[in-house]
Amino acid sequence: MRHRRAVLACSAAVLVVGAGLGVGPALAQDALRIGLVNEATGPNAEAGVFTHNGAKLALDEINAAGGLLGRKVELKLEDNQSTNPGTVLAFSKLFGDKSVVAVIGPIRSTQVQAASPTIMKAGIPTMIGGSDPSLTKVNNRWVFRARPNDSYSSRVIADFGVNTLKKQKWAILHSTDAFGAGGKAALEAALKTYGVTPVLVQGYTNNSQDFTPVVLAIKKSGADVIGSYMTNSPDVGIFAKQLRQLGVSAEWIGSSSVASVTAVQLAGPALDGVHGVTDFNPDSSPEAKAYSAKYRAAYKLEPDVYSSWAYDAMRVLAMGIANAKSTDPEAVRKAIIAIKGWKGVEGTYNFDDNGDGLRGYNVIQVGGGKVAFIKHIDFKD
Amino acid sequence: MQTLFDNLQVLFQGLALGSIYALVALGFVLIIRATNVVNFAQGDFAMLGGYAMVLFFTGLSWPYWLAFVAALAVMAVFGVLFNYGVYYPLRHRSFLPVLISTLGASIFLQNTVLAVFGPQPRPLDKVLSIDGLQVGGVFLDSQYLVILAVTVAMVAFTYVFFEHTLLGKKLQATSQDKDMARLLGIPVAAMITITFVYSAMLGGLAGVLVGPILFVSIGMGSIIALKAFAATIIGGFGDVTGAIVGGLLLGVIESLAAYHISVPYKDAYAFLALFLFLLVRPQGIFGEKVSEKA
Repeated sequence: MRHRRAVLACSAAVLVVGAGLGVGPALAQDALRIGLVNEATGPNAEAGVFTHNGAKLALDEINAAGGLLGRKVELKLEDNQSTNPGTVLAFSKLFGDKSVVAVIGPIRSTQVQAASPTIMKAGIPTMIGGSDPSLTKVNNRWVFRARPNDSYSSRVIADFGVNTLKKQKWAILHSTDAFGAGGKAALEAALKTYGVTPVLVQGYTNNSQDFTPVVLAIKKSGADVIGSYMTNSPDVGIFAKQLRQLGVSAEWIGSSSVASVTAVQLAGPALDGVHGVTDFNPDSSPEAKAYSAKYRAAYKLEPDVYSSWAYDAMRVLAMGIANAKSTDPEAVRKAIIAIKGWKGVEGTYNFDDNGDGLRGYNVIQVGGGKVAFIKHIDFKD
Repeated sequence: MQTLFDNLQVLFQGLALGSIYALVALGFVLIIRATNVVNFAQGDFAMLGGYAMVLFFTGLSWPYWLAFVAALAVMAVFGVLFNYGVYYPLRHRSFLPVLISTLGASIFLQNTVLAVFGPQPRPLDKVLSIDGLQVGGVFLDSQYLVILAVTVAMVAFTYVFFEHTLLGKKLQATSQDKDMARLLGIPVAAMITITFVYSAMLGGLAGVLVGPILFVSIGMGSIIALKAFAATIIGGFGDVTGAIVGGLLLGVIESLAAYHISVPYKDAYAFLALFLFLLVRPQGIFGEKVSEKA
């Protein structure tokens, strides 16, 4: 008897003290949970660490500013093992937890594609980083993208080559996988709007050990600019070296892989002068600069797209929930779609009904093992 | 004239890549002859050699020759470990358990290297400091020249070693008939260990040589091994000359076909050649040194 009375007395004391300090509501309710489906293990585990870093940085800022709807926000991690089945499983686990009000999904298009039906069934707002244009066009109302999709990368490549570099004789080089074939089709379409028909469209399979036939074909075509969608960094390295060895001096504007840290390191001076497009560059805007400084200070690492998109995704979700003044999925969806002109670290977000937020890319140039920011190109539609 | 130069250029690249296939195929053949098993980890020997070089040369900044010798020494030790860890415990079983064992070793090796070195591919310096030579309209990459020279040297060495030294003859006897060899007093287990050591060193050598061109990555071995395996079949299962000729032939076929017909189907030509050989001449160009009697 005496024991129970002691417990009661203590509980009452805690309640009184808690109320007296004015932290009652925030502590009384459970924390708001945001899920993160992340590549914590498997071949892409390194990128997974960066993604977690970016999301965590935004989370800490949100909590420092008082959380959301008066509640603290927590990140709930689920590993997808860098695989499609793992992604579906991770989403199912997160959606099984009723305290999870929104999710940050994967950056890989194929994983998003695999999990799309699960997301649709659960009806929970999910931010994605996969850049395949079709992902937001499958009538899935719950998918929102915190990166520009690939149709914009091809438009930026075409715009920069035709309008800035003033080149008309294009060779398109592409991997024959889903990413490369999609990029090739988009780039051909984008060039057509400028009245340009490529003099050469050349495919290759990933992990080609030798690009000599490709380089000779480019040489023969007389192209003065190469637009490329290459998937793997080693392929970029091998191609770049052979291109310069065989004396081709054409300009080269590539999708983001040409300026990846790995490609620049592998190719060395062979990539000097090459342009690339990328959604994140630390020098592209005041927001990106501020973010990069914070990221470097927090993790002693150079920020890249794997962290920057997750940072933006977290901020967009927080803004959606705060503006909706509720965690009701329908209200949050409405609030995210209503975000216009918000400057994130990847660019200016103007969400459309499909859930696409960004419509631009940064053009960068490789030189001396470093990547320099050239310009940001945005489209209205 | 330009067309001629372009064809020569393609031929050169094909021969050089074919040399790499040949070096790895040679390792395949030696192990097949000694143990009657295809070693599915043969490509990973090349990967390990590449990473050993990255560790000693790039990581520890040793001089090139020292790093090179150290990498080959690591491969020699690894050959012994591989023999006792992967082959020896299963030596009395049929070929299937051993084959699965080498497959398991391959997966284990790739994941171990992934855990230690991470997923990023690594660049490696060329043996010579010059990038290459411009001869007429043809660019000869210095590393490819080195690869061709080393392959010729290794072929000559392997020939002299197997045909004109006592140890080589003991190895041949072991591969042809283990029981007979044992009766003659040849230490069969030691001969097989030596075969694994030599084969691991050949694989490692291929990795070190090709590293500056294809970069050192976890998957580099698998790509090369698949072609080397096809080369082994084309040349003749279990024949040293066959491995060399098969490798060079495969490299040239895929390069020329890629240039003249279509690039995306480059890998297909190699396997089409494999398919044709299996159909028309399954014993390969040279066949086996000792034919099985019915």
